[in-house]
Amino acid sequence: MEGWGLLYNGFINSLTLVNLVACFIGALVGTIVGVLPGLGPTATMALMLPFTMKYGATTGLIMMTGVWYGAMYGGSTTSILVNIPGEAASVVTCLDGYQMCKKGRAGAALAVVAVGSFVAGTLGIMGLQFFAPFLGNAALSFGPPEYLAFMLLAFVLLSNLSSDAPLKGALMIVFGLFLSTVGINPMDSYPRFTFGYDNLMLGIDFLPIAMGFFGISEILSVALEKYVKPEVNKIRLKDLYPNRKEVKRSVYPTLRGSILGFFVGLLPGPCTVISTFVSYALEKRLSKTPEQFGQGAIEGVVAPEAANNSAVMGSMIPLLTLGIPFAGPSAVMLAGLRMHNVEPGPMLFTTNPDVFWTFVAAMYLGNIMLLILNLPLVGAFGRIAVIRPQVLMPVISLICLVGIYSVRNSLFDVWVMIIAGVVGYFLRKWKFPIAPFIIGVVLGPTTENSVRQSLMMFKGDVSLILDRPVAIILLALAAAFLACKLAAPLFGKKVALKVEEDDTL
Amino acid sequence: MAKIARFRLETIFDLVLMILGVIILIVSWGYGFGTFRRPGPGLYPFFIGALVLFFSLILFILEMKPKKTESVFTKEGALTFILMIVTFCLWIVVMPLLGYVVVTFLATFAFTKIMKLEGWWKPLAISVGTAVFIYLLFDYWLYIDLPRGILG
Repeated sequence: MEGWGLLYNGFINSLTLVNLVACFIGALVGTIVGVLPGLGPTATMALMLPFTMKYGATTGLIMMTGVWYGAMYGGSTTSILVNIPGEAASVVTCLDGYQMCKKGRAGAALAVVAVGSFVAGTLGIMGLQFFAPFLGNAALSFGPPEYLAFMLLAFVLLSNLSSDAPLKGALMIVFGLFLSTVGINPMDSYPRFTFGYDNLMLGIDFLPIAMGFFGISEILSVALEKYVKPEVNKIRLKDLYPNRKEVKRSVYPTLRGSILGFFVGLLPGPCTVISTFVSYALEKRLSKTPEQFGQGAIEGVVAPEAANNSAVMGSMIPLLTLGIPFAGPSAVMLAGLRMHNVEPGPMLFTTNPDVFWTFVAAMYLGNIMLLILNLPLVGAFGRIAVIRPQVLMPVISLICLVGIYSVRNSLFDVWVMIIAGVVGYFLRKWKFPIAPFIIGVVLGPTTENSVRQSLMMFKGDVSLILDRPVAIILLALAAAFLACKLAAPLFGKKVALKVEEDDTL
Repeated sequence: MAKIARFRLETIFDLVLMILGVIILIVSWGYGFGTFRRPGPGLYPFFIGALVLFFSLILFILEMKPKKTESVFTKEGALTFILMIVTFCLWIVVMPLLGYVVVTFLATFAFTKIMKLEGWWKPLAISVGTAVFIYLLFDYWLYIDLPRGILG
């Protein structure tokens, strides 16, 4: 099979020192970020983006996915040991994880979660490996109207799933779309919303906005919070062995969580977070002893953790096959790939197949690295959780400042980052979701191109869209979802699957 | 501190977005719509502006009802917030003059004190450590030429 040959080449490419080191650094930093409450994977990936510029696109992609992946691994550590979720996708793990810790089974919980995450991650990569090229080929037939319809569907789902108030999500998306129109429009070289200011001619760069909204606003939030020293329960290596019963009870939840997480990962919005909630609910429903959930049921720990790991891989599919990111971290990845002059989408598999296959191979290796890293070092990671923010935040602030300046040697970018940070701080306080905004910014140019190209294709006759069945189906799905949402209050029912976006996403 | 209010900072923000929507509509009108057959540069932003106005208007109306609100800052928190922002801004203004290593040291020290890290030795050690780390990272590892200022 051609795929295996390409994967073999991918392994050879990924086994370079640079890629292995990038994978290791990504996984390590990701785990640390996952452990530390506050800074989330999106902020960290934006922060690390400038450092990947020196190396190729593949190295950059490997490092950033390593961060996202590592954060999913690390997040569970503090949930179980300290009852504080390191990031949003580990909130559910606290419920039963901390209860297990109180019963003296923290070591077993951590070990089962690490192995479960490894299995889920590996299954997720397999899913990506098989589905992505297939979907990429299918997407080759997509024209501008299909892209536009797909993005509209994504925006509708995104605004509904990423916030408690869908209106706020929608407003954030259109605000992001607006910001992307600032600067010279490449289609007709017309400067828009620049108001004669030279720095705005090239548009507002994505990176300072992302670092401001996710990084600086987070630093400000943490700086203003009252610090309560968490108590970490100590773990010894010999405590890490789960007993036979615990292993037996974990097998099926891990597999179910992995499969469920992968498919939830295909949804727009905070897919990793949603996957944990859905998977926990599913396990509770399937369990013969649902009363044990919340009291330290191992199924309630391992299934959500498996789900969030495979969700990461699931959400790589829309990014790599269509070039459409569905979550904050994948929006940063898209921006990163564009900085390396690689445009993800259906053409990726023909123009840059090495990027995809090296990435897949590196993820297999990264997953093994994370397992090796997490099991023996779990005690050390637990201790990182108690580093005081007064020590950590000043250092991160300075890395943000120097990092963003170094990308284009531009003080203007630093100003943009600070302003975005202040605005982001207030938006967080008022519960406006940030990820839809960032996705709006990064998808703005593609949306505009699709709108204009579709109109030109149809020679102004919008009704011609009826001849495009795929576009019509996608638009119908969006309309049906909106209709359900609007009609739900009339029947006194609330539409489920509403997950409040956490600050870290 | 929770209090009941009709006009909150949040509603004012919605109002600002409404005004932004109107500005986008007016400015993009000036760019020219073209036709549906050959869209001009103003057509797409006009629609975006209309959507910004539409969503913020509904949000503004929905949030007009009086409800309990938590103030964003405490008095002490507001001071910390302002001092943090001032330090960020000072870094931008002073960095090209004094160079990134010196300003990084000063800014880190300022941040640690604003965030109330006790004592002098610890903040000093963190500041020196950060300045050295940033110098090694950007200069030695990434070979990025940043303003060195007084350190030439």
